[in-house]
Amino acid sequence: MRKIALVLALVLLASVSVFANGTAEAAGGAEKSFVPTRNVDWYVTSSPGGGSDIFTRTITDIAVKEDLINGKNFVIQYKTDGAGEVGRLLVSNIKAGVQADHTLLTFNSGDLMPMVKNTSNRFQNFQPIAHMAVDKHLIFIGESSKYTSAEEIIDALKHGERLVLGGSKGDDIACHAALIKELGITQDQLSYIAHDATSGAITAILGGHFDLLISKPAAASQYVEAGKLTPVLALSTSRFPGNLSGAPTLSELGYKNVEVPNWRSVVAPKNMSAAAVSYWSNVMKQVSETEAWQKGYIEKQKLVPDFMDTDTYRAYGMKFQADYLESIGKSE
Amino acid sequence: MENLEMLLMGFSVVLTFQNVMVTMLGAVLGLVVGAMPGIGSLAGVALLLPLTYKFNPTTAIIMLGALYYSNMYGGSFSAILLNIPGDSPAVMTALDGYPMATKRNRPGQALFTSNLSSFIGGFIGMVILTFMGPALAELGLKFGPAEMTSLLLVAMTSIGWLVGESPTKGVILTLVGILLATMGMDTLTGSPRYDFGNMYLLGGIPFIPFVIGAVGFSQVLKLMTERNKKVDVNLTQKLTIKGSMLTLHDVRRLVPPAIRSGFMGTFVGVLPGAGATTGAFLGYAAQKAFKSEKPLGSGAIEGIASCESANNAAAAGSFAPLLALGIPGSGTGAVLLGGLMMWGLNPGPLLFSSNPDFAWGLIASLFLANLLTLFISLGVIPFLIKILTVPVRILIPIITVVCVVGSYSTSNSMYGVIIMFLSGLFGYVLDRNGYGVAPMLLSFVLAPLLESNMRKAFIISNGGLGIFVDKPISAFLLLILLAIVVTPVVKFILRKVGTRKQ
Amino acid sequence: MQLKKVTSQMVIPVVTAVIAALFIYLGITKYGFWHELRGPLPGFFPTLIGVALLALSFIAFLGSFKEEKTTYPIESWYPALGVIAIMLATLVIGMIPSLALFVILWLKWYEKYSWKTTLIGLAVIMAIVIGAFVMWLGVPFPKGIIYNWIAY
Repeated sequence: MRKIALVLALVLLASVSVFANGTAEAAGGAEKSFVPTRNVDWYVTSSPGGGSDIFTRTITDIAVKEDLINGKNFVIQYKTDGAGEVGRLLVSNIKAGVQADHTLLTFNSGDLMPMVKNTSNRFQNFQPIAHMAVDKHLIFIGESSKYTSAEEIIDALKHGERLVLGGSKGDDIACHAALIKELGITQDQLSYIAHDATSGAITAILGGHFDLLISKPAAASQYVEAGKLTPVLALSTSRFPGNLSGAPTLSELGYKNVEVPNWRSVVAPKNMSAAAVSYWSNVMKQVSETEAWQKGYIEKQKLVPDFMDTDTYRAYGMKFQADYLESIGKSE
Repeated sequence: MENLEMLLMGFSVVLTFQNVMVTMLGAVLGLVVGAMPGIGSLAGVALLLPLTYKFNPTTAIIMLGALYYSNMYGGSFSAILLNIPGDSPAVMTALDGYPMATKRNRPGQALFTSNLSSFIGGFIGMVILTFMGPALAELGLKFGPAEMTSLLLVAMTSIGWLVGESPTKGVILTLVGILLATMGMDTLTGSPRYDFGNMYLLGGIPFIPFVIGAVGFSQVLKLMTERNKKVDVNLTQKLTIKGSMLTLHDVRRLVPPAIRSGFMGTFVGVLPGAGATTGAFLGYAAQKAFKSEKPLGSGAIEGIASCESANNAAAAGSFAPLLALGIPGSGTGAVLLGGLMMWGLNPGPLLFSSNPDFAWGLIASLFLANLLTLFISLGVIPFLIKILTVPVRILIPIITVVCVVGSYSTSNSMYGVIIMFLSGLFGYVLDRNGYGVAPMLLSFVLAPLLESNMRKAFIISNGGLGIFVDKPISAFLLLILLAIVVTPVVKFILRKVGTRKQ
Repeated sequence: MQLKKVTSQMVIPVVTAVIAALFIYLGITKYGFWHELRGPLPGFFPTLIGVALLALSFIAFLGSFKEEKTTYPIESWYPALGVIAIMLATLVIGMIPSLALFVILWLKWYEKYSWKTTLIGLAVIMAIVIGAFVMWLGVPFPKGIIYNWIAY
């Protein structure tokens, strides 16, 4: 009896230790050794050729050229159904496994805002990988404007003048909301016209059809150089460089600074393994340090480089989401 | 004459061996992509963008320009031969192209007409672009929300000319098309509308699967009853390049509408966000005001010529704001613009002065692409029309597969296939009951433009109606609108009065 | 008055009228019609169009009594059944095999063509789908659950 018990105990012990070893080895091994074993599906939830697409293609080109992904390739999947919500839901629902470890999604604040506004999908349903860059906004006037500076415009607004501001969707609208709140005026004093894209708003202001334009620096810079647009206000905590430096921030005019950054990031399915998360976060970090990224993308698109690793970005994203939900009266 | 010199310089950039080959390649690829339903010029240019990374920017944009441009030719092929419009402007081409190819047994001539008018329209557009590009772009800027609203009202009213025998039914479908188009995201408020809690409907009904279904797949269902029809023996004899030639009389019918539409299309192409579909549509609608030998819609050469010429002219015209101001007139334009930026060029108001060889090279390449595409597409006509000798019984499963694949490819999802399937069934039932679907497709395209411009105008005017009459261009367009609406009424009353007197 | 059988000509205007009513109802109650300063709201345009559609549907409904009854040949629905089968089969075996199977079954079994004709037809359509859509344009067609089992 005792012998049997002893044998049993030994077997048990052995198996436990083997099992424990095994899992430790498996976990430890994966921790160190995740590398892509097949092509990676990178989802983009807007049309080819747009800002998200250029962002994604730039990263994938650099990662492949610098040989960062084990000789595998990226397959960019455009999922534009349901204004992108279908693709986002799909990525957030991918089950743990090979697929989850080989899936990435381009995710911008312009994606997050409509997502949390119109659906029940949330930032926490994704695995943050890396925050790559930030885009900020400026207010411009056209050639034929009767105003010359932000002071004059704010003064006119305060005296009951009615002005129209044109811009794009998403973060531009959020900027407008934050701006009128800070200036203490109503939506009907500074009305907003949302266009499908910034180019549509630029077309309209070049034709003199409304007074003010909100835009990110890259889209408007050429027109500033040609003298067709003049920057009058920087919606940022500091002035912009180069030909946009003439525009003061709100704090210089005696208000609090208004800033609704449009960030560009990479996320993954919530079920991606920890090893894969650290692998991809590291790839993004290496990409963000290349010259091709800094000169060929950040500088050309006039963005602010702002790399955040997984944890920093998770905290940032959660706070951004909470702030946004609160601003539209949907706080959770 | 300075512009002519610059254009010649542009030709000296383009006419290198490599660039001519690349233009040729772009033209062929564009034709193929355009002919495939579901892959429009937008997807075509975007998908082929990476292919051009290997070239220098000038060569790359020349290829993309040629591709974009020849796409407009390709879209009409499947419209004429199979009644499946390859892209949205081709909806108009199918109206006369398919009847001409099948009922009139002149498929070769239909394709020939389409290609030749495309060439004429495009050529007119390019000449205007060369000499008046920047001026035209400035004129386009004058069209703000109020002006666009009035223009689109004119366009929407002229859909009335397409409704055919039963005006009530035609207008009903026009209105249904408008309502379907309002589903999805409302841009101006950024909130969903008529999505019925469905995530897919948040993005609205995708146009291309809708067209493939309502026109193409419903056509398959109709063909099922004609399965046992023998292939026309006369037809098989005609399927050579000789049998596809237009007669002198045909050419005489073709040229005037093509020239008119060429000018009109160029102008529409320049307008912000109007695009080739609006161009093709207005070209066709305007043809109603002129005499056609055969009634439009029954396979008239004039019908094909007016819309094909207008849509190519609009494609050329849309390069004016793109090059002169850096403003893309269409989704495809936006992708081209994205491409320019990736190659390190800064499209915008300074492009002509900072990169003249590039800008003029692109314009010159459009001329070249136009000519090459004409030759290539005329050359493939004899092969293409062989499709019509394939028995209907074999064509049915093949077209069905093309409908499924094409509608899947527009957004890479089964949602497209489902939309195609449902609109196919509805299209078939509607057709059996004497409802033509063309007005519905057109109002589906035009209504969102009309609504957003109208609402933008109201925001600018603070809710007042004055903005539409205070602006001279808008007021002028409204006068035209009034004339369109009042003329038939007056004619009707005069006729009544006349008969009573007798 | 003689009672007539319900025809599809009568059904269509009823359906469009229901659609119109739905759009009007949602337009006014949910999306908003007009704002004093901001002008038309999201519900404005659909509501106006809905009213016009409602009126015309009524006219078309009255007119439909005079029309001949429409018939629907049964074979016209076969391709529709085919597409449903393709969609369902796609879930299991993927889209491209489903399409191939559809073409084979249709030509061989329904149209009773010889194997030669069937295979030529199959080859042509597969050349278009695989050559152009898959290889060249890189369209990622769904591969079905069987493939996904094997692959992972």
